[in-house]
Amino acid sequence: MLKTRVIPVLSLKGSGIIKTHKFKTQTYLGDPLNAVKIFNEKEVDELVILDIFASKENREPNYSKIKNIATECFMPLAYGGGIKTIEHIKKVFDQGVEKVIINSASTNYQLITNAAKIYGTQSIVVSVDIKKNIWGSHEAYTFSGTKKNKISLDSHIQNIAKAGAGELILQSIDNDSVMKGFDLKLIEKVSNQLEIPIVALGGAGELNHFKEAISHGASAVAAGSMFVFKGKHRAVLINYPTQKDLKNILN
Amino acid sequence: MNLEENKQNICSRCVMDGSDPEITYNSQGVCNHCERYDSLVQTRTFSGDVAKTELSKVIASIKASGKNKEYDCIIGVSGGVDSTYVAYRIKEMGLNPLAIHFDNGWNSELAVSNIEKTLDKLDIDLHTYVIDWDVFSDLQKAFLNASTPDGEIPTDHAINALLFKEASKRGIKYIISGMNFATESMAVRMWSYGHSDWTYIKDVYKKFGNGQSLKPYPHFSFFDLFNWTFLKRIKVVSILNYMDYNKDEAMEVLKNELDWVYYGGKHYESVYTRFYQGYILPKKFNIDKRRGHVSDLIRAGQLTRKEALKELEKETYPSAEMLNHDMDFVHKKFDYTEKEFNQIMKQPTKSFLEFKNKASKVDKIKLVLNFLRKKGILSK
Ligand SMILES: [Zn+2]
Repeated sequence: MLKTRVIPVLSLKGSGIIKTHKFKTQTYLGDPLNAVKIFNEKEVDELVILDIFASKENREPNYSKIKNIATECFMPLAYGGGIKTIEHIKKVFDQGVEKVIINSASTNYQLITNAAKIYGTQSIVVSVDIKKNIWGSHEAYTFSGTKKNKISLDSHIQNIAKAGAGELILQSIDNDSVMKGFDLKLIEKVSNQLEIPIVALGGAGELNHFKEAISHGASAVAAGSMFVFKGKHRAVLINYPTQKDLKNILN
Repeated sequence: MNLEENKQNICSRCVMDGSDPEITYNSQGVCNHCERYDSLVQTRTFSGDVAKTELSKVIASIKASGKNKEYDCIIGVSGGVDSTYVAYRIKEMGLNPLAIHFDNGWNSELAVSNIEKTLDKLDIDLHTYVIDWDVFSDLQKAFLNASTPDGEIPTDHAINALLFKEASKRGIKYIISGMNFATESMAVRMWSYGHSDWTYIKDVYKKFGNGQSLKPYPHFSFFDLFNWTFLKRIKVVSILNYMDYNKDEAMEVLKNELDWVYYGGKHYESVYTRFYQGYILPKKFNIDKRRGHVSDLIRAGQLTRKEALKELEKETYPSAEMLNHDMDFVHKKFDYTEKEFNQIMKQPTKSFLEFKNKASKVDKIKLVLNFLRKKGILSK
């Protein structure tokens, strides 16, 4: 069996990285290059970098920044933010990125299909940001969580899978940075419908949460806050579990 | 004795030499740093039974000041040996510290993992201040372009400012410092000046920075310092001066008790410090900070002069591979081309004296007079 990937997620804003809380308040975390260097030495499985306001601000990916990060990154790097066209995808790959992540453009299923044909399904990732409505049902959002999808979540994820995405990052907006655990019902619901790997994101605060996500159907787990904050004051301190700890909890 | 000969000279007791342009020697060939150490060691450190009594007194006052409060003191943490040992010892003595970390964008993995392990094992809460990288990198670059050897001052000054600011904000009366007279008694102002001189830092930035606001940068004036020390009564306690502090022994304790890992050089827990002390200072300024450090250890009886000289024969960088890697990383962090950086390395060097500063004029006059006296130009 393949090893379960445990993936730190860093959000870019301007030249720095930040961490949002429920997609709203932001904490500044510093220079991405240093964070990447530390994660390198911690032998992280894979790293996700998201330029979280690019689509909302109608910007293209910042290619030189991506290159800067990619050349410092020893582990596989996935990039998302501002990707709307095949041309964008090509340019992002040209900077040395292994996977691209489509989010706000994910209802353009043709884009996913075309990209998967050219670059291979394993390198095209789609991420879906999900919020619960007042009746407790899950709805997908785009543009930094500000725009609700017209299409239902179930149809949306099935279309994404059919279009040829290699994996799906399932992010809970409600649980973002809360660090009390993943939205397990959501993971279970989505993974039951799809064959492609699901990466759970949003809510991890301790190793046990990873185990829960896996047992509810996630193939890999990702986290932001857990790998950048420490203790009750949420002090910025980059961290990552040792391979030994991961093995103990995930096997 | 002419100046050239003087440059060749080296203290007969420690290993300080003419790389400190202000060094003077007495008739036995012992340098001014050694003389200063001898004259101050009694007043700066305690030992034996007196140390025990004084230590328990100061610990009691700290505890009393924190009664019914979440924390009774503040400590700075960097992942280095001194600050980690302070954390270890004060927890052992029952203090309840809040740890403060200044993240200047150059933390090594070893630094963050040492901090993490220490705080977890000792159950200490942490607060981190992450400085805006655009502002801080520009300040560091301003110091590089100013061509003074004080490139580490922006970090040192900010840490002090931050500790006082946090203490003041949180109503905490004690800052426990890892400074210790035993292993770092010596200050060579021509090697590093400006720890508490905001006037100097501001002037360097004004002349060589790109004009950003320094508001996010933690800083303090002498007025602030007065306010914190005399009005708010925040006390800085250098706790290591209350015990026989031996660096090697301290490291052993930390390795065994906290899984702490050594990073191969004084303050090398920061990538920039490693590069600054291991490459920029020796290459551009002909300053080997290890010379000061081993001289301190000689005076403290923790190293022989022979061992020190042998230590100085080693390369300043832990390995050539690491140097190459750090060099690339520094270029990238500062957005320098190799050519731009080499240009900076070639610039003629300057000192803080060429900038606005608050080093008292009296000090300067004294030093000149002392120098002239030693040279026999002025009578004693
Ligand atoms: Zn000496």
